[in-house]
Parts: sequence; C-alpha cells; structure tokens
Amino acid sequence: MARTKLYAGIYVALFVIATMQVAVEQTGLLEESYVLALGLITLLSVIKAVMVAGYFQHLVWEPRSLTYVMLLGFVGFLALTVAASYSIQ
Amino acid sequence: MTDETQPRTDGGAATALPGDSHDEGGHLPPRWSIKRWLVTTNHKDVGILYIVTAMFFLVFGGILALLIRAQMWVPRAPGEGILSAMAYNQVVSLHGLIMVFWFISPFATGFANYIVPLQIGADDLAFPRLNALSYWLYLASGMMVFASFFQGSTYAGGWTLYAPLNIPAFMPSIGATTTVFALVTFCASVTVGGVNFITTIHRMRAKGLTMRSLPLFTWSWLLTVWMMLLAFAALLAAAMILLSDRMLGTQYFAMTTDSGAVLWTHLFWFFGHPEVYIVFFPALGAMAEIFQTFSGNRIVGRKWFIVSMVLVALQSFIVWMHHMFLTSINLEVKTLFMATTIGISLPFDLMVFALIYTLIKGRIRWDTPMLYAFGALVLFIVGGITGVFLGAVVLDYEFRGTYWVVAHFHYVMVSGVTALIGALFYWFPKMTGKTYNEFLGKVSFAVFFTGFNLLYFPLFLAWGTPRRVFAYRPEYIAWHQMASVGAVILGISFLLIIYNLAKSLVSGDDAAANPWPYSTTAEWAVSSPPPMENFPGTPSYANGALEFLGSDEEPAMGTAAATDGGHATGHEEVHVDHASIWPFVIGLFSLVTVIGLSGLQLGSFPEGLEGLFYQATSVVGVVGLLGGISAMGYENFTAHEGGLGEAWPFEGVENTKMGMWVFLASDVVLFGAFIGAAIFLRVAYGWTQWNPVPHNPIPGLVNTYLLLTSSFSVILALVAAKKHSRKGVVASLVVTFMLGIGFLVNKGIEWLELYHEGIWLDDGVRESVYFLTTGLHMGHVIAGLLVTAYLIWRAWNGAYIDGNDEPLEYFGLYWHFVDIVWLFLFPLFYIV
Repeated sequence: MARTKLYAGIYVALFVIATMQVAVEQTGLLEESYVLALGLITLLSVIKAVMVAGYFQHLVWEPRSLTYVMLLGFVGFLALTVAASYSIQ
Repeated sequence: MTDETQPRTDGGAATALPGDSHDEGGHLPPRWSIKRWLVTTNHKDVGILYIVTAMFFLVFGGILALLIRAQMWVPRAPGEGILSAMAYNQVVSLHGLIMVFWFISPFATGFANYIVPLQIGADDLAFPRLNALSYWLYLASGMMVFASFFQGSTYAGGWTLYAPLNIPAFMPSIGATTTVFALVTFCASVTVGGVNFITTIHRMRAKGLTMRSLPLFTWSWLLTVWMMLLAFAALLAAAMILLSDRMLGTQYFAMTTDSGAVLWTHLFWFFGHPEVYIVFFPALGAMAEIFQTFSGNRIVGRKWFIVSMVLVALQSFIVWMHHMFLTSINLEVKTLFMATTIGISLPFDLMVFALIYTLIKGRIRWDTPMLYAFGALVLFIVGGITGVFLGAVVLDYEFRGTYWVVAHFHYVMVSGVTALIGALFYWFPKMTGKTYNEFLGKVSFAVFFTGFNLLYFPLFLAWGTPRRVFAYRPEYIAWHQMASVGAVILGISFLLIIYNLAKSLVSGDDAAANPWPYSTTAEWAVSSPPPMENFPGTPSYANGALEFLGSDEEPAMGTAAATDGGHATGHEEVHVDHASIWPFVIGLFSLVTVIGLSGLQLGSFPEGLEGLFYQATSVVGVVGLLGGISAMGYENFTAHEGGLGEAWPFEGVENTKMGMWVFLASDVVLFGAFIGAAIFLRVAYGWTQWNPVPHNPIPGLVNTYLLLTSSFSVILALVAAKKHSRKGVVASLVVTFMLGIGFLVNKGIEWLELYHEGIWLDDGVRESVYFLTTGLHMGHVIAGLLVTAYLIWRAWNGAYIDGNDEPLEYFGLYWHFVDIVWLFLFPLFYIV
C-alpha cells in the first residue's frame, strides 16, 4: 500500500503541528502579541483539520460534492458564531 | 375521475397500470394486524403512521387552542375563567410546541414518506429501518410531551423557551425538563430522517430523472430536509445545553451569565427562522403539484421557481436576527438583518407570481384539493405581506410581542396546513385506494376558510393585545369573541375533514390508479394503493418517458443490497426486507430512558420513593436502549441499494457512506453551535479576561497525541483489511480502542483534579462551557469506543478482510471527525 507511507507522513506532521501549538503558548507569544499568537494557533488547527479530513477521511479522493456538504455545515457554524458575536459588540 | 394515459411533464409520459397486485410482500403481517404497524419499515406504511399520528397531535393542539380562546373570551384577571394563570401558561406553551413540532412538520413528513420514493422511482428509502426509527422516535417524543403534563407541570414559558425563564430557578418542574427532552428526541428523529431522505433523493433516482426534472414536491422536500438537517442541529445544541443547565446545573442561561439570554435567542432563532420554511416548503411543493394538475398547465417559469426555492433555503440561514430586534443586539446588525429579511421576500414574490400565472394560463377545475391549495395561496399572501412589517426594525419595535405577530404567523403557518390538507385530499385516493366524498370535501373547505379568517383576521385588528397573557383592553373584546367563534368553526371543519376521509376509507368507491386528469408525476402510474415494491419493473426515464424495464433489462427486485447497518449481500438478485421490531424497541426505551432521566434536577434525583422510581426507570431505559441498538446493528436486514439511475452529484458514493457524511455535516453544526456558544459567551465575558479552566495545556496535548494516534491506527486497520490480514485489523482496532480509553482516563484524571481543587461545572459560565463542550466530545468518544468494541468482535470472527471493509471505512469517517473536533477544542480550552 503506497498510501501507508503517506498516512504515516501525515500522522507525523499532525503530531508536530500539535506540539507547535503548545510551543506558541510556552514561548510566551500569547503574552507578547495575543492576536498574532491566536491567529497562528487557529491557522495551525485549520491546517490539521484539513489534513485529517483530506487524507485520513479521503476527501481528496472523493467526489468534491462531499467536501461541499461538510463546508455547508462549517459555513453555518461560521455564520452563527461570527454574526452572533458581532451582534453584542 | 379518470384512468387514462396522460402526458407527464416530469420526465415524459407513462401509462397507468390499474389492477396491480396489492402485494403484502409476504414479509409483513396484513394491514389489519397491529403487529404490522409495529414492525413495518416500508415507506408507505411509515408515511401513513406519520400522517395519522400527526393528525392526532393536531387534535391535541387544537383542543389546547380552544382552551386558549375560551379563556380569551373576555379579559381576565388571574384566577378568573376556566384556566388558572399557570394552567394558561402551560396551554399556550404546549399549543405552540405541539403544533409546530409534533403536527405540521410530521404531517408533511408523512406525505414525503409515501410520495417521494414513488416520484423518484425508488422502491423504498435508502435506510428503511432508520426511517421506521425516525417515526418511533417522533412518537416517543410526543409521548414525552404527554407525560410532562403529569410531572408537576409541563413547560410553561412559551414555545420559544426564552432564557432565563427556561432555567430551574423559574421553571422548576420535572415536567418542564421532560418537555425539553422531548425536543431533543424530536431533533434526533428529524436528523435520522433528514440523513435518510437526502441520501435517497440524491442517490436513488430513476435513470433519466435528473435534478432539473424532479417533481416540484420532491424538490421542495429535498430542500426541506437539507434545511432540517442543519437547522435542527442548532436546536439540538440549544436544547442539550438547556438540559444541562436544568439537570447538571451549568450556567449558560443563568441570569448571572453575561448575554446568556441573548445566546438562547441566537441558537433558537438560527433554527427557528429556517423552521418557517421547513414547515412551509412541503406545502408549497404540494401546492405546485395541485396547481399543475388542476389547471392542466405546467408551472410557469419552472426553472426559476426551483431557483427561488434554493435561494430561500440558503437565505433562511441569514435572517434569524429579525426575531431579535427587541433584544440588546446592536443597531448595525439589526439593519443588516432587516436588509436580508427584505431580500428573502423577493424569491417568494417570484414563486407566488408563478403560481398565480399558472392558474391564469390554465383551465382550473375546482375540486377539493384545488380549493384548499388556492385558499392556501390567498392566506399565504396575507401572511407574507403582514410579515414585512415585522422585518422592519422600527415597525417591529411597535408590533413585537403583540397579537399582530400571532395573527401573522398563524396566517403563514396555517396557510401551510391548508395546502397540506389539499395534499391529503389529493393523495388520499393513491394512499387508500378509495375516493372521498367530493361534496363533503367542498363543504369542509367552505367551513375551514370561513373559520380560519374569522379566527385569525380579527387578531390583526386586536393587535394591541399583548401576547401570551389573557388580560387585554376592553375595546378588543368584540374582535376576540369573533376569533373565539372562528376557532370553533375551524374546529368543526377539521371534524368534517376527518369524518369524510374516515367514512370514505370504510365505504368509499375504489379509486383508479390515476384519478386526476393532467397529473404529471410517477405515483399516478401505479395502482392505488401501490404494491409493496412500488413498481412492476425498474423505472426509467432514459427514453424521455416513464417506463418500467423488465427482468431482461434490469431485475425488478434490486441488484445489490444496502445493509442499513445489517449485513451486505453481493450482486445476485435478492429479496429485500420490510420488517424489523428494533426501531420500535429503541423508540420505546428512549421514552423510558427520558422519563427516568427527567427526575435528575441540578445534579440529584428527588428524595425517597419518587427518586427511586426515576433512577430505576433510567437504568431500565438505558439497558433496553443499548440492547435495542445492538440488536438492530446485528440484525440481518437487506434493503434496496439503488444507485442504478441518477445519483448526481454523489455518483460513486455508496448509500451508507453518503449517509455518514450527511450525518457528519449535521454534527458539524451541533459542535459548531457548542463552540459558537463558547466563543459568544467569551466575547460577552471579555475575551482576554477569560482564562482557560485547566491550568496546564500538557494533559490536553497528551490527549491530542492519543487521538491523532488512534486516527492513524484506524487507517492502519483499513490498510490491513485491504491486505486481508485478520490479525492486522484486530490489532489496529485494539490499539484504537486502547488509545480511546487512554483519552478518557486522562480526561477523567484532569476532571478529578479540578473537582478536588473545588472547580466544577456549576461554578460559573467559564467552567460550564469547558466541562459541557469537552463532555459532549467525550460522549462522542465513548460512542465511538462502543462501535470499536463491536468491530473488534466482528473482525476477530473474520469480518472485513474479504473485500467488505466498508464498515471500517465508515467508522473511520466518524472517528476522524471526533479527532478533528478535538483539534479545535484543544487550543480553545487549553491554550488561548
């Protein structure tokens, strides 16, 4: 299975990125530049999620419509969260 | 009524097939047997169950409405009239809840169950047992509502369950908790049903039946179930959080929580506004079918009608804050949502004009279905126009909380009911094989239309009456008395409808296969009622007209078997199953479980025998529920796979896999609502003042490692299955299981430490959000581990290594999703 190596590579990358997220906190970046650190940590989470969904859940090899189904739910979450949070600013 | 060949606009032309056998299938007891209705999974039977049950709740909700109107006959002070103040609050609240949740939507679901598979050329839904489960969960949730009346008091804070009135401090009864549980169970029913219909309509259409040529009722239902899937997930989240506040003592909606009350309105109306269209769309689809049939004219601007429906379905998720103009949300967002609300009226205008123009261009036959459908359009126009007032911020300041809103939404919602009654008359001959009394049908419409307008129109004129109370200014007495008389007349019309249909069922003339000239959809091409397997061959529109391919071209009984959780069969011709007792058992024990758990209030059961009863009932319920789910999972059940025809845009995706993805999309919204609630409350609290509850991110990081590794081991199980390695599959799954257990143990230790430090979920909003959101995730992990244990046992016995590794893949989709959620929870609750 040629893909086994790919899966192993993805797994290692996920492991490293998760560690990097804590490293951002441990290095004190949150105290120094909160917004930058928050953005970085969020971005790393998104990258991890995309890797798991794309390769472990095989979305890169599936019809694109399945990706859109998931994005539909995600856009719903974003709409609710962003609009609701903005409404009390 | 005729029985002739008709041109079919939805896919071509077909000849009706009178005299098809009413095959009972041999799998099921006869229709007169109670057992049949407990075990059936056939879509037509389930459809009838839905319709009959929904009408039962119509009567229940209707009686509550009559009680309201009796109390409103004259202005009252508390203690006067036939209802006490508290009883009135319960009646008003439950009237709304029952009509919206347990009558209108399930009524439409009944028609969809019966008609949609016939219209698309499918033999049944993709997952017949899940379809039956959806019904039994619906009935169980309705029984919970009944039970709530006998548990001190049912819910009494209005059908919108606004916070903080919904928390135990103001609504302490056990019955109120049971009502919220009923909502949760109903949401589960809707989610199961939504996954099923979405998979079916996308994957099981006949050859040549493209999306563009789908009948309008099916189109409307497809959009309805998509909206249901996403909107009800938000309601499910809201109701679960409320249950947690009531049962465990979390503080989401407490008065001390900044913007807790606004959070409820956001979650509720994010669901609530799409719900308006969820209720109305099936009625709109039925209206379109009836207009076409009884005007003899294809709907004008069909393509744009469909585009408009799609637009409304999408826009329905960006208008919810117009229900919140009187809350503390800022003016900018109010203005934005005023604009989106006006925007959503535009596609509706197009649809209304298309319907009107269809009639103008056609030759109308005023049979009973047409009378109701036309009446529905008139009522909807009134409801729509009066709603525009509520979409404008300044006018809404004046009208919100008054009887203007009551009149407006009854014109909208009950216009939908009107169209569905038209649908009941329209499809009654198809479903029963009997014709109804046309004269009595027309009389019932006259009484209905008179009663409706006499009831609801005066409420516009008495608009200064405050909602939900029975005291009002004396100058409105005449309008309210007129409305009360109208309510009685409307009630009589329902009795006439029920009498007409019941009598026709017993002694009506036999109906032809196609009783309506100019009907255009496939359900009229088979006998009334249709045979068990629906069609005499494989339906196909490939040549431009509906035809049934015989065994030479395609086998009539399905070529492959979807397992619906049971066992797959190969490509040989198979006989499908139509009976399973387990959906009923699961529904029954859901009811028992909820009755038991409802006794849990703020972390403890009542004292003495009462508490013992609730605890014992909980245990019996949970054991029965787990047993039922396990038995259903292991049952050998074969269903139609479909996929022989059109499957755009999901070609090549098996039914079960697609069902899993659709379910996960709804789970994204469920978790999204929980995470969104956490972010919202943190914004209200002060983002940077909100420190993570766990003091140390390292245990969270360890759990991240554990879950990531378990995701990898699931992948390895699949790889081992492809290599036909039984040991590899078992070993990988065991590793997954152990890592999952490790995750739970690590989490347990963390929670225990926090507990010993005096930090628990009822301490404040920060703690509540942390414990509940990560607790929901833990619940998903536990569910996954139960499935893993089952997979290990099956793999140990040699499953999954002979090219049938799909269950491993489908489980993996779920497990990876749980992993993805944690990837967001970890930084949110441990780092930032």
